[in-house]
Amino acid sequence: MKFEEIYKFYWQKIFRLCMGYVNDYDLAQDIAQETFVIVWQQLPKFRNESNIGTWVFRIASNNCLRQIEKEKRIIKTELPIDLKEENQDSIEPQIQLLYKFISELPETDRIIISLELEEVKQAEIANIIGLSEANVRVKIYRIKEKLTKKFKENGQQ
Amino acid sequence: MDNNNIDFTTIWKQQKGAQPNIDELMNKLKQYKKSNLRKMIVSNILLLATSGFIIFIWYHYQPQYITSKIGIVLTILAMLFYLFAYNKQFSTFKNIDDTQTNSEYLKSLTVLKVKQKHIQTTMLSLYFIMLSLGICLYMYEYTSRMTKFWAIFAYAITMTWIGFNWFYIRPKTIKKQQTKLDELISKFETVNKQFNED
Repeated sequence: MKFEEIYKFYWQKIFRLCMGYVNDYDLAQDIAQETFVIVWQQLPKFRNESNIGTWVFRIASNNCLRQIEKEKRIIKTELPIDLKEENQDSIEPQIQLLYKFISELPETDRIIISLELEEVKQAEIANIIGLSEANVRVKIYRIKEKLTKKFKENGQQ
Repeated sequence: MDNNNIDFTTIWKQQKGAQPNIDELMNKLKQYKKSNLRKMIVSNILLLATSGFIIFIWYHYQPQYITSKIGIVLTILAMLFYLFAYNKQFSTFKNIDDTQTNSEYLKSLTVLKVKQKHIQTTMLSLYFIMLSLGICLYMYEYTSRMTKFWAIFAYAITMTWIGFNWFYIRPKTIKKQQTKLDELISKFETVNKQFNED
């Protein structure tokens, strides 16, 4: 597969994964770009024995985990409290809330739920993070429960 | 879905990130390579300059004794060793496989940090030992031409300085490096434990 194709097809997916991880637009852009730099460097070594998606997502999620080391303390901009009073029917706040809540989860949960919402198959998720499929299923269920609860507490339907 | 109809997937997918065009990405790649190189050069310049200065002394003053020559070589070697270890730190990350699973990746990161901790401590001690030994040997030729009193005085001052470095600066530096690495190691381990819950 050519790099250009991978870049075109996966950019938004990888960007969202990073955005879910850090909930900071600029930082997510940086991490996503870094990811593709690594993809570009590693591509000659890619053998077709694994799925290209799994391969790209592994690089991306590992790169997210590397952020722990960079320790650029991310100051998460708090959402305004009166958010729900603003245009309730607009989807915007919902997107912001979802990403905010996800970025507040434990590191590995952020990656798992991001992949799930990206509609990556659960078997593949298991293969990306290195857990059993059964485990992944349980985790996803719990994370979704947690997110739903948080949404409700925030008055979103 | 059974989550009372909150369709997270639809919300999730509405987030879009501006995609830089591919030339921009390639530029970033070049910049990244350049800045890495620059970082390495800057960190090495001081040590290289010192080594250069020592070589200049060798040529200019033409030491007679073998001790002075060994001293000079030891000092330069100490610096080159340190430089080598320092530069290696930057490159070790390239040896981690980015394409393994997250859980394996976290384990490799932990192993790497533990190794780094060991190397830093050993290298720093080795650096100080070689440097001190080199200086003491180098001094011998010049102190042997002094009166006994001044020779002892010169050595006493040097030893005090070396002792200060060994007993104060070295442990302090090691502690500083280790605290930072220990924090990282424990953080990696915590994250990795998240996999084992349930």
